[in-house]
Amino acid sequence: MIPHAEQLFQNQSEIGMILQTLFSLSFIIYLFYAQRIQAMSMLRQVEGTMRKVKAIRDEGRRVSIETVKEVGKSENDPAPEVDRFMEHFFLPPVDLDPAGIVGKLGQLLNVREKVWEAEVKALAPAASESEANNLENLLGAALALNVYYKVIRHFYLLGKKTMNIYVIMQIHMILPMIMREIEAYSSALQAFKEGMPIGDSVGALVAAKMMHGHEWEEVAKDIVAAEVPYAERTLVVMKAKGPGGAVGKPGDAVENVINGRKGKDAVKAVVMVDAAGKLEGEPTGAVAEGIGAIIGGVGVEKYKIEEAAKAHEVPLYAVAIKQDISEVVAPMVEELLKATETAIESVKRIVEERTQPGDVVLVAGIGNTIGIAQ
Amino acid sequence: MGETTGAEFPSMSLSWVMLAAIVVIGIFSLFSLWMGFRAFGSDNPEHSTYYIFIGTAGFAAIGYMFFRTKAVMIKRMEVPKVQVVTTLECPSCDLKRVRDFQRGDYVYKDDEPCTRCEGTMVVTGIHKRAEPKRKR
Repeated sequence: MIPHAEQLFQNQSEIGMILQTLFSLSFIIYLFYAQRIQAMSMLRQVEGTMRKVKAIRDEGRRVSIETVKEVGKSENDPAPEVDRFMEHFFLPPVDLDPAGIVGKLGQLLNVREKVWEAEVKALAPAASESEANNLENLLGAALALNVYYKVIRHFYLLGKKTMNIYVIMQIHMILPMIMREIEAYSSALQAFKEGMPIGDSVGALVAAKMMHGHEWEEVAKDIVAAEVPYAERTLVVMKAKGPGGAVGKPGDAVENVINGRKGKDAVKAVVMVDAAGKLEGEPTGAVAEGIGAIIGGVGVEKYKIEEAAKAHEVPLYAVAIKQDISEVVAPMVEELLKATETAIESVKRIVEERTQPGDVVLVAGIGNTIGIAQ
Repeated sequence: MGETTGAEFPSMSLSWVMLAAIVVIGIFSLFSLWMGFRAFGSDNPEHSTYYIFIGTAGFAAIGYMFFRTKAVMIKRMEVPKVQVVTTLECPSCDLKRVRDFQRGDYVYKDDEPCTRCEGTMVVTGIHKRAEPKRKR
């Protein structure tokens, strides 16, 4: 028979005493082990995220191998070569003496570009130029996903080994931001595999819409330009050469065009159009105007554009098309496609308001031109 | 690289110590709750709040443990595939058509013959199909 509560509570109750002791004990344990419990809880969250990242990384590898087989028509199994590519790394130059670092960085990036091109050529010898460019982009995304996964795993294992809350916090605090980037790369796999325009392509699309139907020529590596008459001015519109996934060398292109035009043909203004990260609360596809060289990357191309503009005292105007980080490498959303018309209107207004009839204006559509011809 | 090996993917699985702790806390909490309800009808009703508090806290702790474990036990994640559409326009008669994206499509590609006139339709836009907004 189950005893009544009163029976258990005989004079101060033994059970009550036990419960109180256990309660106090758990409080004392928590006092000393709270940080460890918190560390374990954080480790669990990191582990859950790591599983997700691993799934995305494996998908990146699978899609890359599948695409190499499809477009490359190679007889050998490309898996070991794809795995080797995914382990590629890049060492930036020493910055203890920063003078001339941009040149060094540019040279290293050129070498990397050539190596990647050669790797892709070896992996997929039958691929066309566009397919090879798209494949290079795809392998780049797979490589980035591999790096994300390995960094998260490193901090997870180090945290587990040391049980040091500060080691674990380093990765735990930035996980939400990292996950947004990783999810963006997971969407990029489909876009790069099938050659779809991505969020970053808006700049190139604006230029393509402005130069379509006009004769174009290559002004730098993977950059094409066309002369477009507009409101008694001459617009030199440039973009990366599509429809394969390429960003080209817009720095060299701007430099070549500015340096190559003298006298009355000299460039009087540069208008750049590119995708820009939006702040939370701003709508996707919002268009904003500003001053300066609007271009991403490590800074080599931006440096070249600024140097050329400074040398010839050419003003730099910027048109930004806002988008979320998750949309930059994902297939282009409709809001961005519509925003290209607004951006074109902005470019035309800048040209009309800030230049004179007869002037030559350079319009540079910056970004990856995947899925966009000219 | 693609295969899942123990060395590559370490896991904090639910250990037997954790399971034992959950069982002990569960029994202890259940007993505490029973004591609390019994205490209502006894000569010491002031004890009931104390026991019910301990019992509830125990169950809350179990719930929290399960919630944390769930994150680890999630099934293999699928990478979502988005739907992308291609817009085609005829430069001669302005006929506009939207179809699913096909591999090889790109903006300004001369595509299929126009169904209204003798022109050729040109790809003028490629974008992700808008997802229906979820109702909250």
